[in-house]
Parts: sequence; C-alpha cells; structure tokens
Amino acid sequence: MEIKYQLDPKKWIDNYADQLYAFCQTRINSSNISEDLVQETFLSAWKAKETYKADASEKNWLFAICKNKIIDHYRKNHGNFISRENDITDTYFNSEEHWTAEKEPNDWGINGIAHVEKKEFYQVLAKCKQKLKELQQQVFVLKYIEDFDSDQICKILGITSSNYWVLIHRAKLQLRSCLEKNWIGI
Amino acid sequence: MISCKEATYLVSLKEENKLSTFKSLKLKLHLAICILCKRFKLQTEHFCKISNHLENHSIDTMSIEKKIEIKKIISELSGY
Repeated sequence: MEIKYQLDPKKWIDNYADQLYAFCQTRINSSNISEDLVQETFLSAWKAKETYKADASEKNWLFAICKNKIIDHYRKNHGNFISRENDITDTYFNSEEHWTAEKEPNDWGINGIAHVEKKEFYQVLAKCKQKLKELQQQVFVLKYIEDFDSDQICKILGITSSNYWVLIHRAKLQLRSCLEKNWIGI
Repeated sequence: MISCKEATYLVSLKEENKLSTFKSLKLKLHLAICILCKRFKLQTEHFCKISNHLENHSIDTMSIEKKIEIKKIISELSGY
C-alpha cells in the first residue's frame, strides 16, 4: 500500500524551524539571512500546500523548498564578487611554487584521521568554513555538501570554469590549514 | 615535473575526471614522490567527504523572536 503523507502547517515552526535554520547556517554565513530564508521557506510552502503531492514526507518537502531558496540566494548574488585571487600574496607556495615552511601539510597521524569524525571536529570545520570568502564558501558548499559538479556550479554562480578551479583550490588550501591549526594541533 | 602549487590544483580536476591522460600521469608521478602533496590530497579528500554531515552537528538554533514572528504570519494567513 502506498503511504500518503499529510501537512500540518500549525506545527511547522515547532517541528522544523531549528532544523531548517541549521541547514541554512551550514550554507550561509549570516544568521539574519538564514532566518529570512527559513521564513520564506514556510511562506512558500504555505502558499504551495494545495499542490503538495503527498509523495514526499512533509519534512523532505520543506527541506527541498529551503534548498531551492538557498540556491536562489546564491544566484542572486552572483557576479558581485569575482575575487582576484592572483592579486593576493601567496602564503602557501613560494616563488618556485613549493610549499612554504609555514603552510606545508603536517602529518595528522592515525589519531588525526580517526578523530576527524568527532563532534568537536565538525565545530572546528564549521568555523573554518565561515572564514572562507563568501564565493569560496558557496563553491565548497555546492560541491561537497550539495554534490553538484563543477559545470552546474559555474552556471549557478555565474563564474567561469577557471574561476571555479581557482576558488576550490583556495578553499581547500585554507580549510586544510585552518583545521590543522585549530584541531589537529590540539 | 609539475610544481606543488599545480599538483594541489590538479587534484580537484582529477576528482571530476577532467585531466588528460598526460596531465593525470604527471600528477600521479608528483604525488608518488611528494609527501606534502600526498598529505594534502588525503587530508582534503577526507574532510570534503564528511562535510555533508555538517548540518547534523550544528548547534545553532533560531531565535525565539523570529519563531514567534513566523508563527504570527502563518496564523494570519491561515485565518486562525
């Protein structure tokens, strides 16, 4: 027998506001924008409730709407901040394009990798991710959290593929270095 | 021989199979002899792979004020 789901808008805020907010905060740096996106999610859902097909659970349906809101938000901002990565002094590599002593990757050891699944690790990762520039962060989120490929991400953000590869390279360098400093070193 | 800067850049392209056989081979060779870039590759692969669990570990919650505001809007719309 097919399971039919139902909507219960009166309970939406109590049941899902915090989860949707956490979902947004993982993808957006500003708590104000996250709150507004959750509000927009509930309003759009409320307006669309007649079209709800009951083939997805209420929760999955709300999260799908929220995810679209986030991607729309990314789209709206695009073109505002193509960063000129090459203008920034490169602290990771020297003039021969070798790792600098300051930024070269250290051995995280068996413990480093094993501890990477722990709760505290995610908090450090979240903090390090917040330190990325907005566009670097969006590229990282779309690639590793939303699982889009580079071509799709370029379309969403309105960037060229060479912009993309530089941004993802920089994001990984910065995240790795930040994690090493703030987590592995403990 | 490619540089460390190029090798770490190419690692992301390799992930999406966007490297020519020649470039791919150059990367493989670099990683075979450069422990630092090898570490970069393993460590970044590892934390990128588990990043999709970030929201499950989030301790952020929405402010009470905002929740009340949204509740009010929804109940006005619903007429109850």
